[in-house]
Amino acid sequence: MKQQLIIITALILLIAGIGYLVIDLFYSESGASDNPYAYGLNELRKSDSSLIDYQEIQHFPAGLSEVYGIAADPANRIYVTGANGVEIYSPGGEKISEFSFPDTAYCIAVTPDGNLLLGMVDHIEIMTPGGEILSRWKPESEASVLTSVATDGTDIFVADAGKKIVYRYDREGTLLNRIGKKDSLKGIPGFVIPSPYFDLGIGRDDELWVVNSGRHLFEAFRPDGSLISTWGKTSTGVEGFCGCCNPSNFAMLSDGSFVTSEKGIERVKVYLPSGEFKCLVAAPDQFDQGTRGIDLAVDSEERILVLDPWRNQIRIFIKKGENNDEK
Amino acid sequence: MKKGIALVVLTILFAWQMVSSYAIQRFPKPEFESGYITPETLLPTPRAEILEVMDVAVLLLALSVVTWAVLKRRSRNLVFWISIFSLAYFGFYREGCVCSIGSIQNVTLAIFAGSYVIPWTVLVFFLSPLVYTLLFGRTFCAGVCPFGAFQDLVSWRPQKIGTRLNAVLGVIPYIYLGLAVLYAATATDFIICRYDPFIGIFRFDALFSMFIFGGILLLCGVFIARPYCRFLCPYGVLLNWISRFSKYHMTITPSICVECRLCEDSCPYESIEKPVTVKNPESRKMVVRKFILIMLLIPFFMLLGGWTGSQIHESLAKVNGKVRMADELLHPEKIQAEPESIEMTAFKASGKSVKELYNEASRILRQFYIGGWILGGFIGLTIGGLLAGRLITRYRTDFEPNRGTCYSCSRCVDYCPIKS
Repeated sequence: MKQQLIIITALILLIAGIGYLVIDLFYSESGASDNPYAYGLNELRKSDSSLIDYQEIQHFPAGLSEVYGIAADPANRIYVTGANGVEIYSPGGEKISEFSFPDTAYCIAVTPDGNLLLGMVDHIEIMTPGGEILSRWKPESEASVLTSVATDGTDIFVADAGKKIVYRYDREGTLLNRIGKKDSLKGIPGFVIPSPYFDLGIGRDDELWVVNSGRHLFEAFRPDGSLISTWGKTSTGVEGFCGCCNPSNFAMLSDGSFVTSEKGIERVKVYLPSGEFKCLVAAPDQFDQGTRGIDLAVDSEERILVLDPWRNQIRIFIKKGENNDEK
Repeated sequence: MKKGIALVVLTILFAWQMVSSYAIQRFPKPEFESGYITPETLLPTPRAEILEVMDVAVLLLALSVVTWAVLKRRSRNLVFWISIFSLAYFGFYREGCVCSIGSIQNVTLAIFAGSYVIPWTVLVFFLSPLVYTLLFGRTFCAGVCPFGAFQDLVSWRPQKIGTRLNAVLGVIPYIYLGLAVLYAATATDFIICRYDPFIGIFRFDALFSMFIFGGILLLCGVFIARPYCRFLCPYGVLLNWISRFSKYHMTITPSICVECRLCEDSCPYESIEKPVTVKNPESRKMVVRKFILIMLLIPFFMLLGGWTGSQIHESLAKVNGKVRMADELLHPEKIQAEPESIEMTAFKASGKSVKELYNEASRILRQFYIGGWILGGFIGLTIGGLLAGRLITRYRTDFEPNRGTCYSCSRCVDYCPIKS
């Protein structure tokens, strides 16, 4: 009886296997037509909705034809820059003012004294909120592609994706030192930046955080360029970063957590100061497929400001369960 | 004991493949601090000719040694160890390519497509087992074919499934052979390679479904010995035919059979023919009736099969990429939800007109119409032949291996008390 059962089971398995061959050969059109080498991300775009801890409460369109950078000041005013100008919005999204210039700015930061730091493709400008130029200087290299600016109140840090280096300037534009050059003796691995997505920001202890996107790492430096720490995980899962160069942008929450944005699998996430994945702010299905260069800012109320360059929108996210009206 | 050896051998061979799969490069490439520069990724070069000569030399040597082990030494142990060597060399080292089973398609393509030049090594891999089989029986299956060796290693608790079921399932290799020849002749696909159940295991790289299929065959192989060889292998069909005419086929006993019946249940492939004594010879009238029946049966099945094949030729042709593409262009509503196929993208980039594609698809369909008749006729002949075979009574006085289905594995030899 047992022997018969084994034979019958084995035969059923065998016939099922042969049946699979027949079905695959004659009835499975997609199997024969699919590109086996296709770089498919659709499966990776799926995310667990229980991991999304934020909700979008508001979005409004930007007035610029192309947008690249977003920042917030201590009064929660929103600064947006891009092609030929800067727009300033109230925390509620009403436009307060704007000014224009002939160049395109790719990044923006607000200094503690309320001025604006703007990174054009090949030079830096410091402007007043009214658009008056206070200072302007160029990096030394023609190959520079400036992608991010930040200030700790004393110095100005500029990320150069073209030269794969971070410059530290004083407020007059004097180069003080370079940060991140590969130095095995100091344990600095060097930046791997395959595309013009190279962001930096200032941490809660005034340390400089730089995204080494080709290595999927965050690296913290002192102003003198010495490496403090790194974190990051290469993974196609939600807890890590993948592709050629991610994350593309980030911003810091007041507790030292990181808000990150990615391209390829378009999403915004929060990581704890230790580098552990905490939650999703926005899942891939909340962005148009192909969206790149999602810039981020965090205001004093911990609202996450997401600049969506594909939709040309400023999108505001708050933690689920927090009533925005009370604030 | 052999089961333990088989487990150890399989563990070693799998570990070998596992180690090589750790050598996958991740992105970004490491930046070595010693100044080492990672070499550029190169396309694999064709296998060096000297190594191809070595493959052929190993094949011929393995065939010769296993034939000697079967016919002269009459040693199952030696056959077992040669089969382990073949599994390691032709399976895990050469990763199942080139193989005699798949070479059927290369030979067919060379015959039907004038532009295809068959590599000499492939021709040798196709012909040499056939020549050895014609002379010595299926010694290739006994210890040289890596597929057979793989299944033999896991054949731990073989059960008999009965003559009738054996015969019914035994039709599948003929259908598979017919389809493989049809698709190779029309330059459609090499389906034997596409649905090779073990090559993915040898390479540790296959579609998940093929891993599962290979796993199912091995699992079945624990209880039903060599399921691929018996119920799928298209090359086995050729070897089966040729082996029937082999000049020096293996015998169970080296001398006169004493009919001790010790070997009766020794064959896991149910390939031992029992003695049929001439106690009740059939009457002349019965013989004539059977002959007439066979003469009617075979043409009937051939015609029925041929007609059926011709009627389903369009379905058979759908496997062809050009025919499928022409069908997609004719019926775009069918594929609206699907992403564009890679063939379609390539066709659009080629600059060819749709009319040219339709003409080509039409030519291929005509080929499939004729091929459908031939394939159906062949399957009909097979079924008719098998039925006819059951009508014919063959008389024998000894326990003998069935020359067609015996894999010359020498298991039965161990059971024979007569050793010289």
